[in-house]
Amino acid sequence: MRKTSNVMARHLSFTGFAWKNLRRRRLRTLLTLVGITMGIGAFVALVGFSRAFEHEWMRLYTSSGTDIAVVETSFINTSLDESVGPKIGAVPDVAIAVPMIFNLIDLTPDVNALVYGWRADSYELDSLSLLSGRRFRDGQPEAILGKNLADDLKKRPGDSLPIQGTNFTVTGVFHGGTALEEGAVIMPLDQLQMISSMQGKVTAFHVRLRPMPAGEAYDRYVKRAEAEIEAAVPGVHADPAADRAANNQLVALAHSVAWGTSTIALLIGILGIANTMAMSVFERTREIGILRALGWKGRHVILLILTEATALGLAGGFLGIAMGWTALLVLSAMPQTASIVSASVAPLHLAESLLIAIVAGLVAGAYPAWRAARLSPVEALRYE
Amino acid sequence: MSSPLLEARGLVKSYDDGRIAALRGVDVRIDAGEYVAISGPSGSGKSTLLHMLGGLDLPTRGEVLFRGSPLGSAVDLDTYRSRQVGFIFQAFYLLPTLCAAENVQVAMLAINGRANHRAERAAALLEEMGLKDRMRHYPNELSAGERQRVAIARALANDPAILLADEPTGNLDTANTAHIMEILRGIREQRGMTLVIVTHENEIASSAPRHIRIRDGRIEA
Repeated sequence: MRKTSNVMARHLSFTGFAWKNLRRRRLRTLLTLVGITMGIGAFVALVGFSRAFEHEWMRLYTSSGTDIAVVETSFINTSLDESVGPKIGAVPDVAIAVPMIFNLIDLTPDVNALVYGWRADSYELDSLSLLSGRRFRDGQPEAILGKNLADDLKKRPGDSLPIQGTNFTVTGVFHGGTALEEGAVIMPLDQLQMISSMQGKVTAFHVRLRPMPAGEAYDRYVKRAEAEIEAAVPGVHADPAADRAANNQLVALAHSVAWGTSTIALLIGILGIANTMAMSVFERTREIGILRALGWKGRHVILLILTEATALGLAGGFLGIAMGWTALLVLSAMPQTASIVSASVAPLHLAESLLIAIVAGLVAGAYPAWRAARLSPVEALRYE
Repeated sequence: MSSPLLEARGLVKSYDDGRIAALRGVDVRIDAGEYVAISGPSGSGKSTLLHMLGGLDLPTRGEVLFRGSPLGSAVDLDTYRSRQVGFIFQAFYLLPTLCAAENVQVAMLAINGRANHRAERAAALLEEMGLKDRMRHYPNELSAGERQRVAIARALANDPAILLADEPTGNLDTANTAHIMEILRGIREQRGMTLVIVTHENEIASSAPRHIRIRDGRIEA
């Protein structure tokens, strides 16, 4: 047996051949990999972050039982008069409408947190479970902190917490259903209006509807209620809570920054692969001529170059996923960002990232492969 | 009369918009199993003729027929090169990233087949070339004579009907030249292949049963 295996030649497969070509210029292959890895890594981290962020917002609404969010028609910096609350509350299908403000505020130079202003009797407080202390009271400089934030700031009930120049007393620490709440401060609506100069204004009204009439679908019911609210209070926009999570200005901003940045990073990665493959085809002109002389068809040459480019894309995809995921883990552990970053990445997002990596390889390899296939065998063989 | 294996009819090949004429009307008939040497001075057009016969390039005018069918129209050039022709070049043209065995297998990659079969056939051919112990050596680890023997094994990989050798001994010393020529003649005798050798060495040309002299793109005799 041993004697036979000595005589046996090593197998050469198509992919094995492509791999050998990539290994030939290791530094160049490595640098190309770094480029596409950065692109995919940015996509995984940034788009993953923005989607997780949206998901957390959605959970925030659903965990508190909010059906509809009423905001000002204009999208940016939405602010409504607090006085329209009773009008919304008077709409027949509305069970309760509570005003709220949310804002992102620097608590310390290192920690910024989402700050909510709610009324002490808001139904949304019922979805939180107090771990220690008590709820805040309206009209008092008091606040409750999410567990993660309290841990980061090392605050307990009874401690003082300065926010925008006002000393607040931490009255309780709560456990919230989402990462957003876990890292948030909740204070009386009137106090947040005061420190953010929004007297008489709110960001939105969160609406809980009356129990659905029997036989009506939830979506239809919500749509009808939205129309009723918009008719009762001109100039407002009523969004289903789920849509509101996606349309939330912070989420929209996160989405556009994430897609914008990762698209640029991906383009740079694709150009890197394209450059490498173009150089490689140029350097291997004679070898391509040899392959053609041996009877390789143009499509075999295209397949070889695309296999090499796709292998680069795929390897960059796996490395990029590892890099992006690591970045999310680090961000979710840092106090500055823990409140808005979740370390979880949806399997679909990973599959999408790999698909983008493969497509990136194919796109980048397309032109060099086409050029290689068009080389005349005789001209290519003569190439010095 | 049955059609020859290869036939060139009125081959003209010109470059640079007709300013350079490499072939000026060549007619050649080569029968199956023939051993033909083509010789001529540098620039006479002998390599160009070989490229046309091997389907590496198409003539400007005229045609090459393989078993009566014109190359490039009735016969697909890539398929013709991969299945019917084995090329051997002066500069060997081995791929530097592949070992000897892989260089032979690369010719078979163009034809679908089992990987095991490819590896076994490469091993058998290299063994036949006396390179049993050099299969895993890369071209830069082989002598010139060994490289040319790997190239011959590669040319035989797909069991072609025709071997076309362009100055196969041009880069070899006397001993290796004799060895390579012995191998080529042996292949032709044992396998009944058609062998066409382009050479500028009179000794090689005159040893062939048929000798075609070419000068200025035309056949002399």
